Amino acid sequence: MEKLNSVLEESIGVTPDVSIFGLFSVPKSVVVTWGVMAFLVLISILLTRNLKRIPSKRQMFLETIIGSFDKFCKSNIGEHWRPYVPWLGTVGLYILCCNLIGILGIVPPTKDLNVTAALALLSMLLIYGSQMRYLGLSRGLKKFVEPIPFLLPLNIMEIAIRPLSLCMRLFGNILASFMIMEMIKCLMPAIVPVPCSIYFDLFDGTIQTIVFVFLTTLFVSEGIHTHEA
Amino acid sequence: MFAAIGAGIAVITGVGAGIGIGIATGKASEAIARQPEASGKITSALLIGAAMAEATAIYGLVVALVIIFTK
Repeated sequence: MEKLNSVLEESIGVTPDVSIFGLFSVPKSVVVTWGVMAFLVLISILLTRNLKRIPSKRQMFLETIIGSFDKFCKSNIGEHWRPYVPWLGTVGLYILCCNLIGILGIVPPTKDLNVTAALALLSMLLIYGSQMRYLGLSRGLKKFVEPIPFLLPLNIMEIAIRPLSLCMRLFGNILASFMIMEMIKCLMPAIVPVPCSIYFDLFDGTIQTIVFVFLTTLFVSEGIHTHEA
Repeated sequence: MFAAIGAGIAVITGVGAGIGIGIATGKASEAIARQPEASGKITSALLIGAAMAEATAIYGLVVALVIIFTK
């Protein structure tokens, strides 16, 4: 019982700092992010070597993935879909790797509220930046009173509420999964963690990635499109 | 001790999420039964709707954690 309590407290607490060469201390989420960055850069370089006109199997597989992601962005955003694909794809890959790294026994960086808050802030800049850029300043500001002027306070509040909900959704899901997996591993370390980990780590992490990217895409498309018939 | 009671009340938000997702899944099953070839789109709509509805339950969990672990 004592062990369970200590596991619970430890898993909720803020992730501790790691000291580099004893000189300065860096949050552990940043160190794991460095690892994820190195991994993504490495597989990007390795998988895109020797691209040919007549594609090999590996190239066809990659092209299928990119093609389906292109189609997703095009059908949701509409006209100016092209510039958003690299950013959304990279953020999706980063969040996916961060969520799934829990299987390897490493604390997922998205368990740290700072990481999800940073991602949500970036999404907010993207959404409102693209709204101002593609509609011009005056038309973009007029969009806040768009369907009915009565909704103006709600639209203004949504500037803060949408990124907050994105941040809290990702943080809460990953924190809850991590805590439950820690407690299961503490109580029944034998075979039970395996099927539970398939649901909590793999499935939940993937779904949260898809939801984050899809919601950002949806908000961007809502911001760009005007409600003219 | 009151922190524990408060945290318990905060987690009751899970009830709304459970009922909502249950109703949505029922309707999705009906729709798939009516038109099996659209099952891909129906499944993806269901999963996205469920993830968004679950977020409100997660807010309750986060509030409960904040209540327990701050003095």
